Amino acid sequence: MIKVEHLYKSFGDLQVLRDINLDFEAGKCNMIIGASGSGKTVLLKNLIGLLEPDSGEIWYGGKKLSDMGYEEKSRLRQKIGVLFQGAALFDFETVLGNVIFPMNFFTDWTEKEKVERARFCLDRVNVSGADNRYPSELSGGMQKRVGIARAIALNPDFLFCDEPNSGLDPYTASLIDNLIHGITEEFNITTVINTHDMNSILEIGDSIEFICNGTVLWKGDRHSIMHTSCRELRTFVGANVLARHMIDESE
Amino acid sequence: MIRRFLEAAGSWCLFLRMVFRRPEKWKIFWKQFVIETDKLILSSIIIVGVISVFIGGVLVIQTASNMSNPMLDRMLVGYMVRETLVLEFCSTVVALILAGKMGSNIASEIGSMRISGQIDAMDMMGVNSAGFLVLPKVMSATLLSPLLMLFSFALGIFGGWCVVEMTEIIPAAKYIAGLKYAYNGFYVFYSGFKMALFCFLISSISAYNGYYAEGGSLGVGASSTRSIVVTSILILLFDLIVTQLMLY
Ligand SMILES: Nc1ncnc2c1ncn2[C@@H]1O[C@H](COP(=O)(O)OP(=O)(O)OP(=O)(O)O)[C@@H](O)[C@H]1O
Ligand SMILES: [Mg+2]
Repeated sequence: MIKVEHLYKSFGDLQVLRDINLDFEAGKCNMIIGASGSGKTVLLKNLIGLLEPDSGEIWYGGKKLSDMGYEEKSRLRQKIGVLFQGAALFDFETVLGNVIFPMNFFTDWTEKEKVERARFCLDRVNVSGADNRYPSELSGGMQKRVGIARAIALNPDFLFCDEPNSGLDPYTASLIDNLIHGITEEFNITTVINTHDMNSILEIGDSIEFICNGTVLWKGDRHSIMHTSCRELRTFVGANVLARHMIDESE
Repeated sequence: MIRRFLEAAGSWCLFLRMVFRRPEKWKIFWKQFVIETDKLILSSIIIVGVISVFIGGVLVIQTASNMSNPMLDRMLVGYMVRETLVLEFCSTVVALILAGKMGSNIASEIGSMRISGQIDAMDMMGVNSAGFLVLPKVMSATLLSPLLMLFSFALGIFGGWCVVEMTEIIPAAKYIAGLKYAYNGFYVFYSGFKMALFCFLISSISAYNGYYAEGGSLGVGASSTRSIVVTSILILLFDLIVTQLMLY
């Protein structure tokens, strides 16, 4: 479980996040949605400790992130899987090497066990036969999928995905959505997903927070999003043709 | 200006503290150490060798033509060449060349990992990214660079000998005798020590600049330029300090 209280973040004069309060539950796909530039990535980076908030607290279980020392943070991070917006694969490692990388550090598995686990993760994201290729030789969507495989390699308790399916074809996108949703429920992971993809919102949005201009304007789930009265959210949702039809019908 | 320098020096020290944290696994460290040795030390052998041979040869000609006085023993040419090589060329000048080669390699490699988010990704796994990426580079550069200095010394003398043989500017026997004349082993140690210190500065400062690069590919370029300028100046400064301390 993750809790955020009164989080503020600015870069110089630019106030990006304002008084953010959030609760993320385990076993659910918690979605942060919002237009491009609304501060989703910045929020995510604050959550995982890559950026320091100006003020406000982030709680993991019962512990404040800001109270943790180096060792404790490092232990927590071993339980966190992150997919970055640009995948951020290590370009000195092959596809297989990327997925094995965290295992090298934090497990005592044999080489064979590591390769088996890595192949298993890669299979789940539908990447096979690319084991020995380097990230620069992959398409953007493939890099993303390898990034997910790497994020779930060590069975994380917390999974953060920054736009997991941007740049993927609709079929693969929904495959990835369902994969994330599946492992979230199966292993009771606290999953946080940044997205502006209406498809995934409607497919797996167990809990949705809509961010606009750096504040949370609306909270709900995939059912209530269609009946919202929040004007900004209606504009956001209504930009999608299918969703627009659904709204019209329900009215 | 002075404040900015002190601030940078301070954060460089903090960076080094991160780098010298105990590695998560020694096995991974040694594997990286071998890779970095290949990239930083072995790949420098050719350039260092070529330069040393040529400088050795030039030194012989220059020294010989400056000692035309018949009162001076021609043997002194060999002696002077040896001293120049070991005292200054093989450590300081070679280090200045390495500041360009090694420094830009380290800064741009780590810098582009920073801006593409790979360092963030490593940190998020709970891996000490500074330790994993930088420690093997610094250790390899510091511990093994004295070998480069010895190699450069040997090839410099060889270059001089080639010129002596080819031009007979002085008798070869005199050159060899000069090389052996008043040999002081401490100078070799002094030079090796300087080399290790310089390569420590090169690797750690370039890594520091790369690690904190920001602003896209332009930032990477700037960090690599800054590393070379800063390390070159520091090499000259420390050359002065170390020489004063060790030789005077
Ligand atoms: N390091 C930074 N320095 C200064 N401003 C930044 C920095 N990172 C982000 N910003 C600003 O913060 C705002 C929010 O950016 P963010 O990347 O969080 O958007 P986003 O919601 O993730 O958008 P997208 O959907 O396009 O990824 C933007 O206006 C951006 O210019
Ligand atoms: Mg983003």
